[in-house]
Amino acid sequence: MNKAWVYVILTCLFEWMWIFGFNVATTWWHWAIVITIILIDFYFLSKACESLPTGTVYAIFAGVGTVGTALMDVFIFGGSFSVAKGLFMGLLVAGVVGLKLADNKNEEDDIQKGVA
Amino acid sequence: MGWFLVFIAAVSEIIGVIGLKMFSQNKTLKNMLIFVGGFGIAFALLYASFTYLQISVAYAVWIGIGTAGAVVVNMIFFGESKSRARIVSLFAIVIGVTGLKALS
Repeated sequence: MNKAWVYVILTCLFEWMWIFGFNVATTWWHWAIVITIILIDFYFLSKACESLPTGTVYAIFAGVGTVGTALMDVFIFGGSFSVAKGLFMGLLVAGVVGLKLADNKNEEDDIQKGVA
Repeated sequence: MGWFLVFIAAVSEIIGVIGLKMFSQNKTLKNMLIFVGGFGIAFALLYASFTYLQISVAYAVWIGIGTAGAVVVNMIFFGESKSRARIVSLFAIVIGVTGLKALS
């Protein structure tokens, strides 16, 4: 796997951490931790954009964050789940997978061009 | 007033993404300020809009405009791929994000 995708995964994991932090932070030092995590997260986000298209990385970042927020609402904070929510999540995940596949295809094209 | 704030917040988000693109290519202080500042202002304005609008609706519109705008700006001004597979996938994500936020 391309190293840039490792940064995509890291930025999404750190994003989930600060979203969780937003929900549970109560005092100033909680918020200090949340802000530190956000800054580390933004660093990983920019590293991912060094070799992947920014549009791809940002759409995945927004999508994964939104799915994470919705899942935390349901499983941790007692929100309700609905079929419609499930459908939008499915669409989102399909979009993320589609972008990953489109990126792989571009790489293959580049390799073929390099050989030719 | 609420919708005006949401709109300006979405524009700030797009500016933040342009900063992200520039910072990833060239790690200067100026690019970092556009990146972090754009997102910082976007969040501040979005929170301000919650005074006037329902949170889920404001959030859904903001993230929809911002994400779609970020993708389009990168395609037009930074020459990112306009392949059909990419456009369909990005469209699915924008609809998914907006729909999910509208429901929560």
